[in-house]
This record gives sequence, C-alpha cells and structure tokens, in this order.
Amino acid sequence: MKELPTTPTDAALIARIKKGDERAFTLLVRRYEQTVWGFAYKLCRDKEKAEESFQDTFVNVYRKLGQFDGRSKFSTWLYTIVANNCLMKRRRRKLEDLLESYDEAPDTDDPSVHDQLASWDDTPAERLLQGELKETLDEAIRKLPDDYRIVFVLRDLEQRTAEETAAITGLSVPAVKSRLRRSRIFLREQLHGFMKA
Amino acid sequence: MKHTHIHTHLLSCSEIYTHLCENLDAKIDSEECRRIKAHIAECENCTALLDSLKKTVYLYRKYPTPKVPAAARTDLFAVIRLEQKKGKKRPSR
Repeated sequence: MKELPTTPTDAALIARIKKGDERAFTLLVRRYEQTVWGFAYKLCRDKEKAEESFQDTFVNVYRKLGQFDGRSKFSTWLYTIVANNCLMKRRRRKLEDLLESYDEAPDTDDPSVHDQLASWDDTPAERLLQGELKETLDEAIRKLPDDYRIVFVLRDLEQRTAEETAAITGLSVPAVKSRLRRSRIFLREQLHGFMKA
Repeated sequence: MKHTHIHTHLLSCSEIYTHLCENLDAKIDSEECRRIKAHIAECENCTALLDSLKKTVYLYRKYPTPKVPAAARTDLFAVIRLEQKKGKKRPSR
C-alpha cells in the first residue's frame, strides 16, 4: 500500500529552508500566514498597517531564520517578530499612569461608581458587532499603549499562556498579568457607555 | 468597595478585585477560589464587574478577523523573490 505523505514539521521545513529550499519557505508562509495576519490585524486595527506588518514580518523571518535556534517554539519566535514590528516608539505616559490607577478597587461610596458598575445589556454580540460597536472596540483598543495592547491580544485573543506572552514581549510574568488586568479594566470602561443596560 | 447585601462576606470586594480582573475564567479549585466564588455569588457589584469584564473579552474575541488578502500574499512573495535576487539565496546563518 502506498504511504500517505506526512506533513513536515516546522523544524523539518526550517532545516530545508536553511539549505536553500525556497519551496519550503512558501510552505512555512502558507502555514503561518493567517496567524501573522490575524495577530497583526488585531494589533493594528487597520488593514494597511496590518499588510505592512504582515510583509515586514515574513521578510524578517526570511532574513533572520538562520538566527532561530529552535529552543523556543517557532510560533513564539514569529509572534515576537510581529510584536516588534508593531511596537511604536511613542509612549503614552499619561495613559499609563491612568492604567496603573486600575490596581485599586473602585470606591462604591462614590455615587459615580454605581453608574460604572451598572449591569451590561444582554444584546447578543453578533447583533452588536454589526453596528457602531465595532468602531468603539477599534477605538478603545487603539488607545491602549502598545505593550498593553500586545499583552491583551496575545493573552485574551490569541489565548497564549502568560509564560509564552512573557517570552514574546520580554516582560516578566507578573508584568504580563498586571498589564492584562489593567487592559481589561480600561477596555471595559471604554465600552461601558455603549453597553450598560 | 462596600457590599450591596446585608450578608457578611468572608472576603471584601477590594480583596478580590485583583483576582477578579486577572483570572476571568481560571478554573482554580483552591480554598481561596471557593471563598472568592462565594463572595461573587452574593455581591451585585462584583457580579456586574466580572460579567462586564468577561463580555469585554468575549466581544473582542467575536470581532471577525478578515482572511489574508490575496494581494498581500502576492506582494509578499514578490518581495521575497527580490530578496532572493539580491543574492540572499538563503537566510543568514
């Protein structure tokens, strides 16, 4: 009986690329293109910027694959390249100060906090996402400083572990946890006006 | 944060605040976790906060991600071919 061809592992493809096999590079791109595109799109929230990041990432992979030593998963290395591509130099210090203030629980003696804690409407997500909520979601996530946005996207959307997110971003695991916590609260606050019942 | 119920909770809202925001879906079965769940079950504020945090994440997860545009793929391979022509026949070692 004829044996079915097996799908080459990442390591096998990378070994072939390092020997100059261009077809193997095409296969590697095909395998990860949606991962890179999706991550870039979720970070940038802009098709043009995502395209730029998509291209830069794979060109960097092509140029730097020789430096990949296989000690981490290839996908972790890939996420690191996308994240670095998307990181902007501009810091938003004011917003970072605000995010740090989220470490304190709100004071419910303050009447304005009651409004902040009002229950959210139960409208199904599918219906909400057809309308202006999409814009609200985009605007809110764009306001996050890059290192917070990357952590939120990796942990909550790409569902990477805290340890892998730390490896990708170069942050410590406690720093990943605090950024994730603050990002969630910030985004929740941004959506609150739209969502409360 | 004060409670909206008359019951005396074992933990206060501020004591569980960090945990609440950090571990939305964590399935930890520890004594602390059971106390936190008991608090949430009786506290309107913490329930509202937890639900809205979960919904925030849920909405972002539901937000559709488009497929890779064919043009982006075509452009990428054109750039890679240029890289190869520039003499970089294989990645640097």
